[in-house]
Amino acid sequence: MMDQSSVQIIALAGELDVSRGDEVMERLSAPTTAKSILLDLSEVTYADSTVIAALFAFREQAERERQRIAVLIESPQLVRLLQYAGLQEAFPIFLERSEALSHLVST
Amino acid sequence: MSELRVSRKANGENVRPIRQALRAFLHTLDVDDTKIDDIVTAAGEALANAIEHAYGPTQRGEVELHARAGPLRLTVDVSDTGRFVERSRRSGRGYGLRIVDAIADEVEIDHGSHGTRIRMGFALSRQSPSLHAVE
Repeated sequence: MMDQSSVQIIALAGELDVSRGDEVMERLSAPTTAKSILLDLSEVTYADSTVIAALFAFREQAERERQRIAVLIESPQLVRLLQYAGLQEAFPIFLERSEALSHLVST
Repeated sequence: MSELRVSRKANGENVRPIRQALRAFLHTLDVDDTKIDDIVTAAGEALANAIEHAYGPTQRGEVELHARAGPLRLTVDVSDTGRFVERSRRSGRGYGLRIVDAIADEVEIDHGSHGTRIRMGFALSRQSPSLHAVE
């Protein structure tokens, strides 16, 4: 059982569209030594499929490093974007911060 | 028939103002917020696709969004004047057109000699017919 202080948080906010593709990819593929990472997208108000490539890169890196990840999403638009892409099961998505953190700290 | 036509230079920074113009237009049509989000999402994917694939690194043209709303149906065209360029950058664009297909009721993609047009049709179920007319 880990405590929540061992969770690294990566937060992105605003509109994640094609104009921010490089920035989003860099943020989500930057190496980290944390054992657990919360990708906090709760302040994202709009996203296009630019974010999908970055989410795959994020997930692949975490799998390589054996890191546990959770993705926090509050925007219904972003939830539906992933559903329309057929990816609602591709990432560990949580709509509540407490549930995301519970997922990360449980063994 | 209400109509919106917006044209901008094809770069990433211009996608947001075009989306905002479409969102404002849809708000005049008594369309519910979820439907507005979905239509803006589909159009946003078509715009991003045009910007990533229509023009090479040193070549910049225009991208245009043209929306027409009748009582029961909305048509949104996203057009560019470039030639399709395969870009090697990491991208979720393969999912972009899948998302467009999932949201729009009809999708036509026309790769012509003067550019590409993605036409998306959406059924509208409005509370009451709109009396607004937007140029």
